[in-house]
Amino acid sequence: MTAEATILKNIDAEAATVIEARDLKTHFQGRSGIVSALLGAKPPVARALDGVDLCIKERRIVGLVGESGCGKSTLGMSLVRMHQPTSGQLLYRGEDITQIEGKRLKDYRREAQIIFQDPYSSLNPRLTIGQIVEEPLLIHGIGNAAERRQKVARALDLVRIPPADNIDRFPSDLSGGQRQRVAIARALVLEPKFIVADEPVSMLDVSIQASVLELLDELSQKLGLAVLYISHDIATVGYICDHVAVMYLGRIVEEGAADDVLTSPLHPYTRHLMAAIPRVSDDKKTELPELSGDVPSPMNVPPGCRFAPRCPYATELCHRIEPELIAGQSGQGVRCHIYGSEDSGLPRPQLGQITQAADAGTLT
Amino acid sequence: MNFTTFEKPGRKSTELAKLNDRLAAKPAAHLQVQNLSVGYSIARGIFQAVDDVSFEVKPGTNLGLVGESGCGKSTVIKAIMGLQPDGTRISGLALLNGENILGLSDRELQAIRWVKVALITQSAMNSLDPVYSIGDQIVEAIRSHENVSNATAWARAEELFALVGMPAARLYEFPHQFSGGMRQRAVIAMALALNAGMLLADEPTTALDPIMQSQIMQRIRGIHEHMRRSMILVTHDIAVVAETCENTVVMYAGKVAEKGPTEDVLERPLHPYTMGLKNAFPRLPVRGEPRQPLISIPGVVPNLFHPPKGCRFAGRCPFATERCHNDPPALVSEGMQAAACHYIDRASEFREAASRPETWRRMGSAA
Repeated sequence: MTAEATILKNIDAEAATVIEARDLKTHFQGRSGIVSALLGAKPPVARALDGVDLCIKERRIVGLVGESGCGKSTLGMSLVRMHQPTSGQLLYRGEDITQIEGKRLKDYRREAQIIFQDPYSSLNPRLTIGQIVEEPLLIHGIGNAAERRQKVARALDLVRIPPADNIDRFPSDLSGGQRQRVAIARALVLEPKFIVADEPVSMLDVSIQASVLELLDELSQKLGLAVLYISHDIATVGYICDHVAVMYLGRIVEEGAADDVLTSPLHPYTRHLMAAIPRVSDDKKTELPELSGDVPSPMNVPPGCRFAPRCPYATELCHRIEPELIAGQSGQGVRCHIYGSEDSGLPRPQLGQITQAADAGTLT
Repeated sequence: MNFTTFEKPGRKSTELAKLNDRLAAKPAAHLQVQNLSVGYSIARGIFQAVDDVSFEVKPGTNLGLVGESGCGKSTVIKAIMGLQPDGTRISGLALLNGENILGLSDRELQAIRWVKVALITQSAMNSLDPVYSIGDQIVEAIRSHENVSNATAWARAEELFALVGMPAARLYEFPHQFSGGMRQRAVIAMALALNAGMLLADEPTTALDPIMQSQIMQRIRGIHEHMRRSMILVTHDIAVVAETCENTVVMYAGKVAEKGPTEDVLERPLHPYTMGLKNAFPRLPVRGEPRQPLISIPGVVPNLFHPPKGCRFAGRCPFATERCHNDPPALVSEGMQAAACHYIDRASEFREAASRPETWRRMGSAA
């Protein structure tokens, strides 16, 4: 990050909120068999997203981490309205967009774009790079041919793909990193204010990852974009995100400034997630007991805390009542009963203390 | 029909004990790969995927094989297992306990696969048969090589499942009933079925999320400590190698760029590619310390239909000279470590320069 960018960041500490989710729920209706349908049983419902609050401001990159199947991508797709939320509210610059349809939805999609994981399947192999980047402009009926060409060239310039050499090439001529840049250019050509990047570098080689991450960071500063960066690679989140949200089974269990969440995680789940990351140098890695089992199915969400069945510190209370998000002074919030006993400021117990507190039953 | 269940229980357990003793007596394998070259012939010509690669796995040690996609890591593994497609040109030697296992017929390979060399595949989804239960698949692997009863083989499978931390009851289930991480564990259990002296693990955790990945790697490390098998671990994740392997081979564009003890290779790399790889690898932030810049390596891997005539990394290397572009470097040893670089004597100077982002950025504008 340049010095100039740092200053910018400090100035707009009270930056405008671009997108906000309030108690957002996206449920998917399953199908029941004919017998149970005749018996009048209700078909199963997968609660992929179950009450998420999230807010992304201008020029900010929010990282969303969690295991596979925890609802990260569903949240990303719900925010750009590729999925219709079941309930809750979605606010874009203060305007409710939860239920909009037709022309208004199309207009919203000019403002909110998404970048997918796999640049090998997200680009049409039969279109040239120029056509791929131009397509969103055609769909939205923007400009005449000359203006569109100019916009395409500008978008490709932004992602450092020289337009003159590449506009007539096909995706197959490009490397994975270059393809992902083209996908970013396609998202940028409509001049959106909000971008969801769903695992944009997980298919790329390590040596190229860095350049795509750097680009995202730079673009968010330069264009004032709000970015939701979805990834299960927590190390990359540490490089570009200001704010991190940790998701588990459809809910955010911990959030806060990236430096706080990644260096002193509070929720037992986040602690396990951090301890699971392999390190190059053997710097103080905390050894935690192995988590038992898998993430429960979103069709069968446990009552109480969602993490309780796998949590080594769970008490009877955890299995019964779902904890609220408890906010600490530094803005780091955690959804865990362990931290519920003190009202102001979050304690930072060491692992031993967590177990002690759990044993002593002082968590009520 | 399973008649063996009607036998006296005593016989089954003694047979199992004998089988276990027989398998436990197998020594860890010693593998020497010498001047291995693999070329795929395609309509456009020969694609030289692996070019003159040599390394050694000492008995009871782990070797990490690291590199970007397309650098030939998996091709090396396939060549050792004899799994290459028809029309592949292979030269060189792979000496397993002194015997060459390259270019054997399928019949000859039968005595080696599973028995002496076992493979833990990358995609556990595709390596299990969907129409047989996991238990039957493990039993099949055991019984095609060991003359034991079905019940004994099943008892062995139960032990293997316990080893990878899964309840024996799940042996009756089918692959689709397992999650990705459990399937991967089942594949590991199967690879251990005959206690092969050599395990080849081809990206065993790549498709998994961090918690699963750490659990699987803990299993693999535990097995390594208790059973002392030799292993080659193929991965692009240098942190996994740092935690698991004694020795490391870094491959680039089909050639060995650097090899040596893992600590030396990662702490004091001699090859500019290893330096770049280390810089590009994201690390977790440490409280109170400024974030280190993430530095990508500019440019792309050369096309192996037309490999460059000099050093293969020269086109992306910030320190490349005229000589590098014209003259392929040989592997030069320095202590236990070796690197294919003309300027191995300037490595400490390069390391210092390589940690500065400007060094690589200057290259980027040219590429």
